[in-house]
Amino acid sequence: MPEQLWITEILNHWFAGPVTSLLYSLGIHPTYPQAPITNAFAVELLVFLLLVVVFLLVRSSLSVDKPGALQHIFEGAHGFVEHQTHEVIGHGGERYAPFLMALGLFILVNNLIGLIPGFEAPTASPVVPLGCAVVAWVYYQAQGFRHAGPKYLLHFFGPVWWLGWLMLPIELISHLARMMSLTIRLYANMFAGDMVTLVFFSLVPVGVPILFLVLHIGVSFLQTYIFVLLTTVYLAGAVAEEH
Amino acid sequence: MSKISSILMMASVFFFALPAFAQGGEAASGGGLVVAAACLAMAIASGLCGLGQARATGSAAEALARNPAARPGIQFALILGLALIESLALYTLVIIFAKVK
Repeated sequence: MPEQLWITEILNHWFAGPVTSLLYSLGIHPTYPQAPITNAFAVELLVFLLLVVVFLLVRSSLSVDKPGALQHIFEGAHGFVEHQTHEVIGHGGERYAPFLMALGLFILVNNLIGLIPGFEAPTASPVVPLGCAVVAWVYYQAQGFRHAGPKYLLHFFGPVWWLGWLMLPIELISHLARMMSLTIRLYANMFAGDMVTLVFFSLVPVGVPILFLVLHIGVSFLQTYIFVLLTTVYLAGAVAEEH
Repeated sequence: MSKISSILMMASVFFFALPAFAQGGEAASGGGLVVAAACLAMAIASGLCGLGQARATGSAAEALARNPAARPGIQFALILGLALIESLALYTLVIIFAKVK
């Protein structure tokens, strides 16, 4: 039996049977059949449900005459993301703001929930940043196809047609490397933060690890901002129009 | 002359650590080299990352001093540049975690 957080224990107690049979039917063999749900997945699910509840609360309390505190916070966040899209993508950028805001909030809450004792940040396990990076990559490729049709593929041949034979492998590798760099940047920052906190906790158990927890807060916000900003830049590259 | 001799004295201290490799001789000589290479690689990556970020921050501070009205643009470029340079050092860390047992 692996080490489990309390939510993972609760979820595995109730759902281990159905989840294991579902995995077996897909051909996947979990390492611990009585605990197929990992810590990262359980906390991710919790964060998802928490975010849906908060969004429903905001939605139900929206008002033009007397906006509440929650509405102000979300209007501020949405305005920030929309401002970024206008700066980076240009005048058609607002249509991508909802996706970027959802992605940003998901990654931010995933990072920050690692601070609360009894939870561990899902982004400190390599699969969660990989999922976010794959989603962001598929999204911007799909938006490129939606915007330009099949002519989107001409993007991969570079600016002039007679360099296309050289640009094609370079562009393909660089596009695939974007997934890798987004994943590794987020995963390594979160994982290294945890490692460093543990190292200093083993050296000086009182006081000094607090500095690293504060650093973790700053790094969580910064890395979320960088992830969303880079996705915006990739979107701008995919839907750009030459004037 | 005394500067060179002090540097050589410091360097000779590193040779005191060599006998430690002789102790775990049978299987650990390969393992010891992997760990040593990992530490050296991480040190080089962090040092060069520090140099790169120092240049980026210095240019940003100078640009901000010359033109404080351009603060949003300079701040944006600075944060983006710092995060991208940081991620290069982190790639080294990830390889270390993947390869060193």
